Amino acid sequence: MNEVIRLLPKTVKECIQKLPEHKKDLIEEIRLRVQRPIELLIEGSPYTLNNQVIFSAQEARELIDRLSEFSLYTLEEELRRGYVTIKGGHRVGLAGRVITQKGQVKMIRDISSFNIRIAHQQIGAAVPLIPYLYNRGRWLSTLVIGAPQTGKTTMLRDLARLISQGVRNRQIFSRKVGIVDERSEIAGCVKGIPQNELGHRVDVLDACPKAEGMMMMIRSMSPEVLIVDEIGRKEDAEALQEALNAGISVIATVHGSSLDDLIKRPTLKSLLEGCIFQRFVELTRDKRAGRIRRVLNENGKSIRLIGEAT
Amino acid sequence: MIKIIGACMIIASTTGAGMFISRQFSERPKQLRQLRSALQSLEAEIMYGLTPVKEAASRLSGQLPKPLSLFFEKLAVKLSEEEEAVTLQSAWKESLEAFWQQTALQKNEKEIMYQFGATLGKHDSENERKQIRLALAHLEREENEARNAQSKYEKMAKSLGLLAGLLIVLLLL
Repeated sequence: MNEVIRLLPKTVKECIQKLPEHKKDLIEEIRLRVQRPIELLIEGSPYTLNNQVIFSAQEARELIDRLSEFSLYTLEEELRRGYVTIKGGHRVGLAGRVITQKGQVKMIRDISSFNIRIAHQQIGAAVPLIPYLYNRGRWLSTLVIGAPQTGKTTMLRDLARLISQGVRNRQIFSRKVGIVDERSEIAGCVKGIPQNELGHRVDVLDACPKAEGMMMMIRSMSPEVLIVDEIGRKEDAEALQEALNAGISVIATVHGSSLDDLIKRPTLKSLLEGCIFQRFVELTRDKRAGRIRRVLNENGKSIRLIGEAT
Repeated sequence: MIKIIGACMIIASTTGAGMFISRQFSERPKQLRQLRSALQSLEAEIMYGLTPVKEAASRLSGQLPKPLSLFFEKLAVKLSEEEEAVTLQSAWKESLEAFWQQTALQKNEKEIMYQFGATLGKHDSENERKQIRLALAHLEREENEARNAQSKYEKMAKSLGLLAGLLIVLLLL
């Protein structure tokens, strides 16, 4: 949290510091828009700070100066993608006027909206999954399925942590983990160094295209478990096949509500037909993100959840 | 006896002044060349390393020879101050101002450096490169001029100092 507060312009900083301590810890997003009051998202509901305090264009410039350490050219790639990952794994989303070149986004100029998402790593989120995904000394290839905001990435991150650290009380030894982090969300890297707690045995290819990154990882880092976010393109299937042939388990996420839903999507068909994945985990969101709805085996049959009424 | 000592002192002081002026003529092209190589290193840092200005400045301050390293050192220190009002532009200006007195550099190149500082860190690397190239071209022109002035005036300033001293001594005898 301090990493974020340090960046903020003075007026915003003061406003947030006036909040009571327990509220401050629950902030999920800080939204700043030029010439609008400051909005916070606390526990999923919006919370407008003092209406008198308006975020000015000057302050927006200051904020971007500080994000880039006074060197805008260091953010070229980030300005093309529309977000910056900062120390602590927090992420600042940007919106404003987009400059295009040959039909492709070149950068965002005149940035007018900032969305600072505070990262809360949920340590232990994936513990209930361990008995389903670990079998006879190896982690099974798994696809985590969920709609946006259901906690797929949180789950993935925690799985990465569990795999690289091992689980002492279940006699699961630690493994080498390779993460291909195309959107810098799993590891939250700053200058290549993961900001989230992921254990010692993790190698991260930050901001690398997935299919290519998976091949690179397999060739160069010999991971035992490969972790990727949001698969779905044709090239991904090939890379996944390659990983399996090399005896590497793959844990990936995909957008969707359920397995049946995925089978209808043409781009995913080849992925699912190849019997690549041995487990499917479906996530939903009720009051909070990350509820496990079902765990399915390779044939799409549901495996009963422990403690669930039959 | 006193007369001779006085005469020696006059000659020594005017010669000294002449040497000082001629040194300015020889130092300026040298420092201009260093300044250009500093900007070239900065360009490399920006283009290939995408290094933030602060880091680039502290790295350059280690690489460069004396008067110039002071500028980048100061810049790096100013930028790492955790103050509200610090901007790259203000830090650049202040460091430039403080360091300028210790050099043989003149107003023209100061203007060039000001203008370059005003654009630094505001653009993508392609544009930064253009700005650096522009500053380099301007500095090169100044350097050529300084070299011309050096070949014309360096020796002259030296001998003029000595001769002026002699002239004064002869007049006073």
